[in-house]
Amino acid sequence: MFEDFQADSSISPLPLLEAKIHQTHSLARLLTKYAEQLFQEYVQLQGDPFGRPGFSPPRPPVAGLSAPGAGHAGLPLPERLRLDAGALAALPPLLDAVRRLQAELNPRTALLRRLEEAARRARALGAALEAVLAALGAEPREPRPEPAAAAAAAAAAAAAAAGAFPAKLLGLRVCGLYRDWVSRTEADLGQLVPGGPA
Amino acid sequence: MGPASCLGRPTRMAAGEGRMTSHLRRFLSTFVLLCLMDHASGQRKGAPRDLKCVTSDLQAWDCSWRAPPGAGRDALYDVCIKNRPRTCYQLGKTNTKIPALAPGHYEITISPLQDFGSSISRFILSERNVSLIPDPPEILRLSANFSTSTLHLEWSDKGSAFPRIANVLWEIKVLRTENMELVKLETLHSTLSGEDTVLRWSWASDLPLECAPHSVGLRRYIDDTHFSGRKEWSDWSPLQTVSGSADIQNKAFPQDKVVPVGSDITFCFVTREEVSSAQISNTKYPLIHLDGENVAIEVHNISVSISSGTNVVFMTNKDVYGTVIFAGYPPDIPQKLNCETYDLKEIICTWDPGRPTALLGPRSTSYTLFESFSGESVEFKRVVAPINETYQLFFQVLPNQEIYNFTLNALNPLGQSESTIFINVTEKVCPHTPTSIRVKDINSTAVALSWHLPGSFAKIKLLCQVEINKANSVRELRNVTVKGVDNSNYLIAVDKLSPYTVYAFQIRCSSGTFWKWSKWSSEKQYLTTEAVPSKGPDTWREWRSDGKNLIIYWKPLPMNEANGKILFYNVSCSSEEKTQSLSEIPDPQHKAEIQLDKHDYIISVVAKNSVGSSPPSRIASMEIPNDDLRVEQTIGTGNGVLLTWSYDPNMTCDYVIKWCNASQPQPCLMDWKKVRAHSTEALIQSDQFRPGVRYHFFLYGCRDRGYQLLRSVVGYVEELAPTVAPNFTVEDTSADSILVKWEDIPVEELRGFLRGYVFYFEKGERDTSKMRGLESGRSDVKVKNITDLSQKTLRIADLQGKTSYHLVLRAYTGGGLGPEKGMFVVTKENSVGLIIAILIPVAVAVLVGLVTSVLCYRKREWIKETFYPDIPNPENCKALQFQKAVCEGSSALKTLEMNPCTPNSVEVLETRTAVPKIEDTEITSPVAERAPDGSEAEPENPVAVSYCPPVIEEELANPGAEEAAGTAQVVYIDVQSMYQPQAQPEAEPDAEPGAGGGYKPQMHLPVTPAAGDAAAADGDAEGAAGYRPQASGNAWTLVSPDSPRSTDSGSDAVSFGSPCSINSRQFLIPPKDEDSPPSSGGGWSFTNFFQSKPND
Repeated sequence: MFEDFQADSSISPLPLLEAKIHQTHSLARLLTKYAEQLFQEYVQLQGDPFGRPGFSPPRPPVAGLSAPGAGHAGLPLPERLRLDAGALAALPPLLDAVRRLQAELNPRTALLRRLEEAARRARALGAALEAVLAALGAEPREPRPEPAAAAAAAAAAAAAAAGAFPAKLLGLRVCGLYRDWVSRTEADLGQLVPGGPA
Repeated sequence: MGPASCLGRPTRMAAGEGRMTSHLRRFLSTFVLLCLMDHASGQRKGAPRDLKCVTSDLQAWDCSWRAPPGAGRDALYDVCIKNRPRTCYQLGKTNTKIPALAPGHYEITISPLQDFGSSISRFILSERNVSLIPDPPEILRLSANFSTSTLHLEWSDKGSAFPRIANVLWEIKVLRTENMELVKLETLHSTLSGEDTVLRWSWASDLPLECAPHSVGLRRYIDDTHFSGRKEWSDWSPLQTVSGSADIQNKAFPQDKVVPVGSDITFCFVTREEVSSAQISNTKYPLIHLDGENVAIEVHNISVSISSGTNVVFMTNKDVYGTVIFAGYPPDIPQKLNCETYDLKEIICTWDPGRPTALLGPRSTSYTLFESFSGESVEFKRVVAPINETYQLFFQVLPNQEIYNFTLNALNPLGQSESTIFINVTEKVCPHTPTSIRVKDINSTAVALSWHLPGSFAKIKLLCQVEINKANSVRELRNVTVKGVDNSNYLIAVDKLSPYTVYAFQIRCSSGTFWKWSKWSSEKQYLTTEAVPSKGPDTWREWRSDGKNLIIYWKPLPMNEANGKILFYNVSCSSEEKTQSLSEIPDPQHKAEIQLDKHDYIISVVAKNSVGSSPPSRIASMEIPNDDLRVEQTIGTGNGVLLTWSYDPNMTCDYVIKWCNASQPQPCLMDWKKVRAHSTEALIQSDQFRPGVRYHFFLYGCRDRGYQLLRSVVGYVEELAPTVAPNFTVEDTSADSILVKWEDIPVEELRGFLRGYVFYFEKGERDTSKMRGLESGRSDVKVKNITDLSQKTLRIADLQGKTSYHLVLRAYTGGGLGPEKGMFVVTKENSVGLIIAILIPVAVAVLVGLVTSVLCYRKREWIKETFYPDIPNPENCKALQFQKAVCEGSSALKTLEMNPCTPNSVEVLETRTAVPKIEDTEITSPVAERAPDGSEAEPENPVAVSYCPPVIEEELANPGAEEAAGTAQVVYIDVQSMYQPQAQPEAEPDAEPGAGGGYKPQMHLPVTPAAGDAAAADGDAEGAAGYRPQASGNAWTLVSPDSPRSTDSGSDAVSFGSPCSINSRQFLIPPKDEDSPPSSGGGWSFTNFFQSKPND
């Protein structure tokens, strides 16, 4: 797969591209761990039944962002990476919205800082992934019909108006999406890393 | 029942009767009117009847009657009321509204105008017969606050329609759900004042209003005390309804509500889906079904929530819905409210919020600080992020206001509380920390100290505290009051300082009325300027041993006396005749040597710094001799040495104690100390003192002319145990004593005054003996404590010869025992004792031999008679004389002829190799030599009496004898088998070691055809006892040297026995010397005399 990209790419020299992929993959791996920690800390602070294993509310799309689909793995790698980049671009405003909602519910916890860091890291990973895609010569992802920030703000406002419980559900959903997409990005980038899974 | 009685019984409907239904009331009213009409009709049929009057406002009565039977709808009636100005009315209906009549009874006649057989009806009417039934009230507005689930009801009392002031009862009902379940019925009171008044009522529903429609209706009851008629409840007003949110679906209520901990609350869920369950935390709650699919749950005594609230979750088959409830506490009363100011510009109020409310974020407690005199207030703004929130508010100090009355109000969704404080702000000053500390010189003992203290303190005085620290000194605090200023800069003078001293200054301040100190400022160090040294240096002098040169010592001045850096010293020696000077000796040098003659000099030492010279310190050079001087000893107290002396009035100046290390050669000087003239003791302390080091102290007394040595003392500040053991040698060794000599231990290694030596000794070899636990009083260790220090030798007596001894020597001081040194010494052998040990037994043996010999000699006749009696010669036997010739002449007669035979022998065999096998004396038969083999001893001639018995080998059966003789075996070869031993009982085998047979030469032997039949011989032994010596058998003592008795006795002499004893070995054993006769008693020797054991 990496060779395919390389054949298409006439921008980056191979060592530089390889280093970039490595770096991005490492970042994704690190963020996967952080995302899991964030998710666990989030559900812990929301109270029962959020922390319970059997608690699994429906997972509707949030601001047009859905979880990686079951067919995600079957897509071509460039397409997967483009989807990853799109999700990572949509996540930061959602994470910020969740942070604002949680400021009302858990104002004295470290969760707020973690949510802020998560948004920043998602941006960083998204930017790094875009750079890898550009270096590989992949087509840029389609511009979103609606600005992600506005959609996220609308979702947050709707959740806040609906009450604390929907706000908690929104946060749960966003943290889960963050975890899933970062993990998916790590897996997709792993296929670009020499020696990684084919 | 007459109408009068019907009307005369006014209905008094009390409030309690108001609950009667309207139908019942109507029925009663009708009943009353029927009575009235029956009475008025006068029992005549066809007349109007049942006159009934009611009023709603007391101003008009509405009277109606029942038309007579047959009267049409358009029938006309003439109604007349007597005693009224307009008394008659012509009406085309059966009711009329008449103005309220004045109190009294009125006759009312109603007569139909068409005559169809009817008659006039006459009624008596009064107020008592009128019912007061108010009009139903009208609800002006019914509103709902869904967030609080509260209904707000507004209506008018229509007081303007009622002419008088009257009390009104209102009854309000709340109906819920489409089934109109009564959930609330409440009665209110009000008063009609003649004007329309809007009344309001609010009710908080336990069920969120969104979940079910709520309808409200009300009625009234006018309780006019002046009205004598019957009073009844009005009809219910039309219901007004607050419907739930019809357009809301799948929502749980209440949303994000804040409730007190422990309260009961009902949650509901509006949905069109079927709800499967509802739960809070882990607890599922039973569903209460409302309209449609809406459900509710009731939660009692709700517990406190976490920060994000308590989740209430409703599960449907499709999704999860929920709401959040925040259970917390109302704000606690603010505690420890305190208001003070740092700078008189701003008042800071702090408090402790008390019990946590468990409500955070927008639900947290807000605080407002309100000042009542000025009417100003400030609000506490919630800080979102910090975990440790500081509860404080700043209030600007108002011009020309010193007294403040603060009220701190705490408010959260569950309630409010407040706390107040009343302060005079000028008395609650806790200044900021002073900064910018600066110091300037005033003189060598005073400085100017300035600092910056922000604040507008012009109205007050400040109390400040200056901390003055200098090295090696306790801190000094000085309080100073300064007038407050607005420019925040303050300046004071600090005096009474020491010149040329480093000081550290710190400042803190408070208000003059003192409330709190500020924090200490940072430390400011400053060195004061120099001043002239206040004293001359402490001086001493020592003469060289040649007596020509004088060494002058002085100590550096302490800082508090040097008052600056000492640059150099000037030394001068003045006598009456001349003066010698040594100038500008640089500071590090603190001694000078000067050559002086024998004159008396006064030595003067002056220290100089940059400011000036110190006063001179003087000392006389002369040393007054003291012949009566001896060296004493002293022990210190660990940290010093206390020297005491007697008061001497001659000592007019002072005393000087100098000391030095005793191991250093004289003159030596480590240091000295001067004490006042009248002192009699001095504790000498020095950092140079070390335990275990011997110091030499010299006490000088100062007279006018000079110093005189008064005492010479050696001592230790603390004694220690010696570090080495004394070297000792063995000077002499004998068989029973050892002479030990040791050497002194050097003073440096002694480390204390020697108290003595401890000498240990015990038996022991080098490799086996260990002098362990010598001090523990082991019994085998002998200890000698030598306290005579002049003793350098020790003789250890009463020792055993040729024995190894372990010797150990240790020295001890007041500090303890030193290490040990040991050696092993072997005493010499005691030869004299050995010789004596040999000679004494020999002498005894000789003596015994001699005595025995003498006794034997003297008793030889007796012995002869006893042991060697004369043996009768058979030839002289007359009984045999007749045969003499035959014996001599005829060889045919061989009765007593001794045939030659094999010589018999007795052999004693011993298995012990140490003892040579003793071969018994060979007894040779006069006939023939005996063959060594028994079988060969068979006589050649069977006729001849055999003198060659078979060899009989016997083993000593006596264990005692066997033990005594080792494993000795004695083999006896019978002299002749025919000679059977005398019969011995079997029970006495030990007494018969040789009982198997022995030589019995004088036995008369029977002639037997076969000599080898031992059994026959045994059987004949008793009867065939032959010759016995001429002695009683009892006199025989069958003792052999091998017998136990012999062994026990240890005396071989007594075992000599008779030479003819058959048991005597001595007589059977031939002497070594074969030439010596067998009778010589061979087997006994001198050496045997000394043998302690027969077999040795």
